[in-house]
Amino acid sequence: MDNYSDIELVELSVDGDTEAFEYLIKRHYMAVYKVSYKWCGVKEDAEDITQEVLIKLAQKLKTFGRKSSFKTWLYRIIINTAKDYHRKHATKRVYETAFAAERSTDNPGSQEDEHIDAARLYKALEKLPEKQKTAVLLVFSEGLTHNEAARVLRCTEATVSWRIFQAKKRLKKSLEHEI
Amino acid sequence: MTEENDKLKRLLNTIQIPEPNEEARKGALNAAVAEFEQLKKAEEEKVEGFSWLRRRTDKTLRRGPVMSKQFVIAVGTVFSIFLMVMVMMPHFVSYPNQYSYLRRLFSPRVEEKSKEGLVDSLNSFIIKYGGSSQSTAFERGWRDQTYAARDRFEAATPNPVKKTSEEPVSTFSIDVDTASYAFVRRALNNGTLPQKNAVRIEELINYFDYDYPLPEDRSIPFKPTVAVFPTPWNPDTKLLHIGIKGFDIVAQKRPKSNLVFLIDVSGSMEDRDKLPLLKNAFRMLVETLDPEDSVAMVVYAGAAGTVLEPVKAKEKGKILAALERLSAGGSTAGGEGIRQAYALAEANFDPDGVNRVILATDGDFNVGIRDPEELKGFVERKRKTGIFLTVLGFGQGNYNDALMQKLAQNGNGVAAYIDSLNEARKVLVDEAHANLFTIAKDVKIQIEFNPAKITEYRLIGYETRLLRREDFNNDLVDAGDVGAGHSVTALYEITPTGSTAKLIDDLRYGKPETAGKENVEEKSGEYAFLKIRYKLPESKDSLLLTRAVDKKSEYQSLASAPDEVRFASAVAAFGQLLRGDSHVKDFTYNDVIKIAESVRGKDRFGYRSEFMNLVRLAKTARAMGDN
Repeated sequence: MDNYSDIELVELSVDGDTEAFEYLIKRHYMAVYKVSYKWCGVKEDAEDITQEVLIKLAQKLKTFGRKSSFKTWLYRIIINTAKDYHRKHATKRVYETAFAAERSTDNPGSQEDEHIDAARLYKALEKLPEKQKTAVLLVFSEGLTHNEAARVLRCTEATVSWRIFQAKKRLKKSLEHEI
Repeated sequence: MTEENDKLKRLLNTIQIPEPNEEARKGALNAAVAEFEQLKKAEEEKVEGFSWLRRRTDKTLRRGPVMSKQFVIAVGTVFSIFLMVMVMMPHFVSYPNQYSYLRRLFSPRVEEKSKEGLVDSLNSFIIKYGGSSQSTAFERGWRDQTYAARDRFEAATPNPVKKTSEEPVSTFSIDVDTASYAFVRRALNNGTLPQKNAVRIEELINYFDYDYPLPEDRSIPFKPTVAVFPTPWNPDTKLLHIGIKGFDIVAQKRPKSNLVFLIDVSGSMEDRDKLPLLKNAFRMLVETLDPEDSVAMVVYAGAAGTVLEPVKAKEKGKILAALERLSAGGSTAGGEGIRQAYALAEANFDPDGVNRVILATDGDFNVGIRDPEELKGFVERKRKTGIFLTVLGFGQGNYNDALMQKLAQNGNGVAAYIDSLNEARKVLVDEAHANLFTIAKDVKIQIEFNPAKITEYRLIGYETRLLRREDFNNDLVDAGDVGAGHSVTALYEITPTGSTAKLIDDLRYGKPETAGKENVEEKSGEYAFLKIRYKLPESKDSLLLTRAVDKKSEYQSLASAPDEVRFASAVAAFGQLLRGDSHVKDFTYNDVIKIAESVRGKDRFGYRSEFMNLVRLAKTARAMGDN
């Protein structure tokens, strides 16, 4: 199964191959979990979101258009699930575990600063409109191009660029404001 | 600009993501696979109805767009004819026969559906697996202790002290059940002392694994070990310890299993420590099965139905999907469920394998055959077909321990009580071999005490397992079974002749205790004579093992006795303290801890450490009771 590409696995799954499907979700579990965690900042919520994503994957396999890339498609499911989850549970996000653990270790000054900066950045990210936050996470954290992000979010590339631009402006402002 | 972007990238990826919980991961994967299977099944059902249409569609579409256009026309024609018939339908009403004929013609699945209605109604509760938090939620503690009073246990008075000169022979059936221990643990974790009748000392003792020596030869399933040593709670008496341990089946030699899960999905099962726990438990069990093992599933609530026809364990997805679909509702027709489960096990019977029905319930059978005697009789009859029974008890509130015990005892089975995921792991994974593979059945123990050495004796525990003296040699009388790797322990408190601890006075008119002296003297070194009868799993005739208990197995002090023996005595003392037995006198929980602490042994899974915690909990629970 190792040699199969994601798309091949999807095709096998669509034909009813349970093993292929299981392999596919095992392969992507961590990736989905990581994106979910970055989105929500709570381990348990990220686990729940990941589970929902995997279930949705089972439900939506048939709608996977072979022209689009699997990655794009998966990101779209994750983002939508995370948004729904947030709406449903209205959880307050805390990235405590992520940063607390880091800070306790004796890091050299500059690196420690980075962590504090990162923590503040994630907090600032929280205050952004959801669309801008999503764009920022996809582009900067996941490393998607504006074009790819546009396909995930089903909007034009220009819209993504605009959201990123707006987001950066706001982030700068709120970070400066804090200092 | 790019510098700014790079910084943003770097900062966003500085975040340290905690590892996801392994159970959450497995749960998520299984939930998704279950969903996948579920959809696949729904799809297949849909396709079945329109298989002709689909075959046409597939073929036509493959031939290219031109053909598909033709196909559309063809389908359109078929539909218009169909519509016309539908419109005309009311005209046929006056001719009922024709009408029903047409109806059957156009919806062939109607009848099939109604047949499936039973199963459907059971399936109607399809629940979405609600998230990983479920898997740990039920371990967070128990609510509503007031419930506990409704749990039903059979009353049992502790075995009385017997006078050797009057009744030198003691006979009982072994008991490898562990339900009582889990129940006691649950009560103590709640801060309450368990009901006296919930404490079965032999089950407490047998909850633990003991490292008794194994037989050198596989032809004998086990070898008894005996020890005599001073009683921890009474300096004037001794304990006679009998331990047997069955050999473990090597993984490769493991026979195929034909398992039928019989699952209670009645309304009372919806608590999170019942059905959700049960699902988790069975998910774990499925992981341990061999690919060729077969699994079927029957549920019962208001009605009973098969939710999973026998499939091989390698089709894990199907099994998991069927498990996912379970949800609780309705009253309990346990009797009918049992019948169906046995029928499935029989249909799929593997003469070389292990055939077992695994019943999971809170024991509340309130519809159908509810007379315990009748159910017992049914299970007893089925025992002869070679199908074994495992009873897993769940939850508290209306837990019917007495019935569960009866079913397991009469169905060649094991009863365990599952109060947590850990316990599920112990019963279904760590001890899967012991609980699934029986190596000896109808194991009976008979011991004859030598009146020259012992004046009085008392069997600790096994109150519900006593047999008549003559039952020992009667192969028709049922008794407990030993699974692969199981260990069984029994303890007698014995009073040596001349001891001041003697409780029963001599009879004024009785014969002097010199009866049969010449015979006794010959074997005067012996305390007692042990006989064990057992049958090999497929055999109807019993085999006999014997062994004398003499000076060679005696230890002068408690400290010099083997660790396993001392630990068993600590558990026995604990059980008696919980029951408030008079025999333990001024022995305290602290004394129990002292003994147990010194002999924790390997304790691979931490069960013995847990035991110590329970003893400590019992101390405080007791204090609360006194106030």
